[in-house]
Amino acid sequence: MLVMGLLLSGLMIMVLAWYEQGARIAYIAWSVALVVVALLGLCDPTLSWLQGSQWALTPLRSWFLFLLGVVALAASIYTLGYRLHHPLWSAFWTPLFLVSMVGVLTAQNLWGFMTAWEIMALSSFFLVISHPERPGVVKAGYVYLVMSQVSAMLIVLGLLLMAYHVQSGEFAMWAIKAHELSAPEKNVIFGLLTAGFAIKSGVAPFHIWLPRAHPAAPAPVSSLMSGVMIKVAVFGIIQFAIMDLGPTNGAWPMVLFVIGALSSLLGVLYALMEREFKKFLAYSSMENMGIIFMALGIMAAGLDWHRPSLEVIGGVGALLHALNHALFKSQLFLIAGGVEQHTGRLTMDQLGGLIHTLPGIGLSFVMGAMAISGLPPFNGFVSEWLVLRGMLLMTLQSPVLVRVTALTLALILGLIAALAGMAFVKAVGVMFLGQARQPLPYTSLPRTMGAPVLVLGVISLLLGIFPGPVIAFIARRLLATRASSGALLVPVHVIVVASMLLLGIGIAAITSRVWDAPEVPRWGGGRQTTSAMQFSAASFTKAIRTTFAVIYRPHRHLARLGPYREDFPERIVYQGGTTPTWERYLYRPVSQAIWRIAQYSTRVQAGPVRLYLTYLLVTIGVLLLTLR
Amino acid sequence: MEWWGQAISMAASIALAPLLVGLSQTTKARIQGRMGPSVFQAYRILWKTWHKETTVPQDSSWIFRLAPSVNVATMLVIVTMLPWTGKLPSSWPHNALVLFFLLAVERFWSALAGMDSAGAFGGLGASRVSTVGSGIEPALLAAFGVLWAVSGHTAIAPLAPWLRHQALGILPWILAASSYVLVLLAETGRLPVDNPDTHLELTMMHEATVLEYNGRFLAEQQMAGALKFTALIGLGWIYLGPVMSSVWANLFMRVGELAVTSMALGWAESRFVKLRYFQLPTYFAMATGVGLLAFYLVASGSVS
Repeated sequence: MLVMGLLLSGLMIMVLAWYEQGARIAYIAWSVALVVVALLGLCDPTLSWLQGSQWALTPLRSWFLFLLGVVALAASIYTLGYRLHHPLWSAFWTPLFLVSMVGVLTAQNLWGFMTAWEIMALSSFFLVISHPERPGVVKAGYVYLVMSQVSAMLIVLGLLLMAYHVQSGEFAMWAIKAHELSAPEKNVIFGLLTAGFAIKSGVAPFHIWLPRAHPAAPAPVSSLMSGVMIKVAVFGIIQFAIMDLGPTNGAWPMVLFVIGALSSLLGVLYALMEREFKKFLAYSSMENMGIIFMALGIMAAGLDWHRPSLEVIGGVGALLHALNHALFKSQLFLIAGGVEQHTGRLTMDQLGGLIHTLPGIGLSFVMGAMAISGLPPFNGFVSEWLVLRGMLLMTLQSPVLVRVTALTLALILGLIAALAGMAFVKAVGVMFLGQARQPLPYTSLPRTMGAPVLVLGVISLLLGIFPGPVIAFIARRLLATRASSGALLVPVHVIVVASMLLLGIGIAAITSRVWDAPEVPRWGGGRQTTSAMQFSAASFTKAIRTTFAVIYRPHRHLARLGPYREDFPERIVYQGGTTPTWERYLYRPVSQAIWRIAQYSTRVQAGPVRLYLTYLLVTIGVLLLTLR
Repeated sequence: MEWWGQAISMAASIALAPLLVGLSQTTKARIQGRMGPSVFQAYRILWKTWHKETTVPQDSSWIFRLAPSVNVATMLVIVTMLPWTGKLPSSWPHNALVLFFLLAVERFWSALAGMDSAGAFGGLGASRVSTVGSGIEPALLAAFGVLWAVSGHTAIAPLAPWLRHQALGILPWILAASSYVLVLLAETGRLPVDNPDTHLELTMMHEATVLEYNGRFLAEQQMAGALKFTALIGLGWIYLGPVMSSVWANLFMRVGELAVTSMALGWAESRFVKLRYFQLPTYFAMATGVGLLAFYLVASGSVS
């Protein structure tokens, strides 16, 4: 009932799009309703209002619906002051996008799920190409569309196979019967679903659409896509591939680990080199999805090896990191929109010192950066701690190979956390700290844009200080845990550490009288200080670029111009960059091969009607001969 | 009893932290054939800088002003977390992973402050500190790999009893200890990774991030550095060293260990030259590899 109401009322907002103010208020109200329904579903999923034959809620679905609600609420308030989009276009497609995500999360059968999934892909495609006049946007949208269609094909194949083997398209039946399937059937289904959902969640090597589609979309849409849409794919893996199928082949967790480790490492490395803020955030999403995939690997491994403690810690890690990432990534994308509206730029090296003109957003950005780098006392720390803990748990009572793999994964996670911290020091430092690199006409931002960003940051902080109840809730309600493994999950006294830390900072700040320090000109090595003396995004990460040259394959070109260019160059033009390895060596050959096949196929499609009639007759003949 | 022991050891480690820095500096001076300052010089410098006028560079923000407080508070929390006496009150936070992430907080804020000082040196220091940090983090986890392999805890305290009851085997112990020493040198900004005494822009790392600081803020940064030095040496001994049954015996033993180690580090520093910056990845790969090897030996049961 309630879910049906949500879907229909969301569609109503599309009609309202022509009444600008009305649509905005309806959008906010609808988001509030979404949060309320999600909370109802989390508290008591047996409520008859929430159950229907077509659409229904379970605790797991309510959890993801809750993510959607929170992000949608922040984005809806933010949209009030956001100017950099086509209002009518956004107001028409955004509600459809949201409704389709609600549909995906609440569908009770295969048909509802796939319909909503396709609408989700299409409506987000239209949101990505909001500004078709800008260079590269249509191509970005096209790449995104192709990737989502490939993903949808794989998913529908996997789900149809599942439906065929279970003899039902009802998800309720799958939960009961799917784990009785034979091992080969499970393998095929797991493989197809993982591949499909992995494409949609943008993990390596399917990541190429993320850094294209996210920057092209308006900021609130990016925050929804990166905050929630890619998590919907995680929902798919948890629900269908892990929970429904149950124990599968022991090789699948390893596949998840490899995807996760590769994706998070590549994501953070590409983020380090990125100079465009929104692309940077997109790569960081790739990294965080990698962490979630590693957590899913731990969960699947726990199922396969019948170790409930692993299953729980992996599941809790994945679900909590999904929530955390939804919170801080949507916050960061909203910040990116704010920066763009404030300065008109998104290239890091053209900005600087924004913390003076955007104090509220600057504070939120520091909070978000700490949270996403997994630093205490923020929420990212708690979920990364859980994932790390799960890996260390895997180093116990396992074969030697698994133990060493698990420790290696833990080391990779440590490396990722440190590199993510560096990447975000770069983002905060280059854009918000120091001195402005060039004079820009600043537009002031309305409070409706700053407030949701700050509130999301505060929620991140609170979740980082008081994670206990949330973790216990996930373990008990969402994963229906046996009580014995609960003790593992108590994150060691985060409250004590966080309060000691905050108290210590407060005392130290007061004792050292932080306010009582006059500003003086800084030292520029004996010269006049200029803003060009500051480190740029490229120089900050130079050492990483050299260390990981195998991955980046950096190239540089130095041109000296002028009549006596060798000794007295008038101008030096420097061009440097990294090689887009995946695009060049994986995707370009594949797309070229597809084009070639398409060209060959034009030969059989010559045009005359009688040729096609001949094809028809031949086909029918062959069918009659073979299918008797 | 545990509460008292912990409180006293906390107070002692905070009070003695500058002394350890002074010890290593004096030792270093003596090895190099100089008289060197008194071992109490570090206290005098702290007193002096604290009472000087405090200024901040133009265009810096509250990040620059707050960073020293964050750093010193983080280090205080780490010192508080360590089970100095081998016994901790139950419900006391003492998790090794939390400790590693707290070290990352300090690194994050140092780098932010460096970027906020808007000069070339700050950015240089921030870049180098973060790069070194990304090598330290996996190496630190690897050095503790043996701990997870055998005890199954990420808590620091349960390790000590385990070491008493079940021999780790001498080879994994040596490997884990060497791995940890390599990390310790890097994380406390010692040679061969960083030189604490340099002010040359080619070589300085951590020093470059605090170059624009003076007065009270500089004193806080120096105190944070001293506390980090103390905490990391202490962690090494708590992790791999022997444990007595009595709280007081442990306490005195720790003080002795700290003093000896800081002198040994002062000696070692005079023996090394600084590594080239672009060779540091190899250094960290070695630290990580040695830790992994120790883990592998224990995990595969090759050495009981």
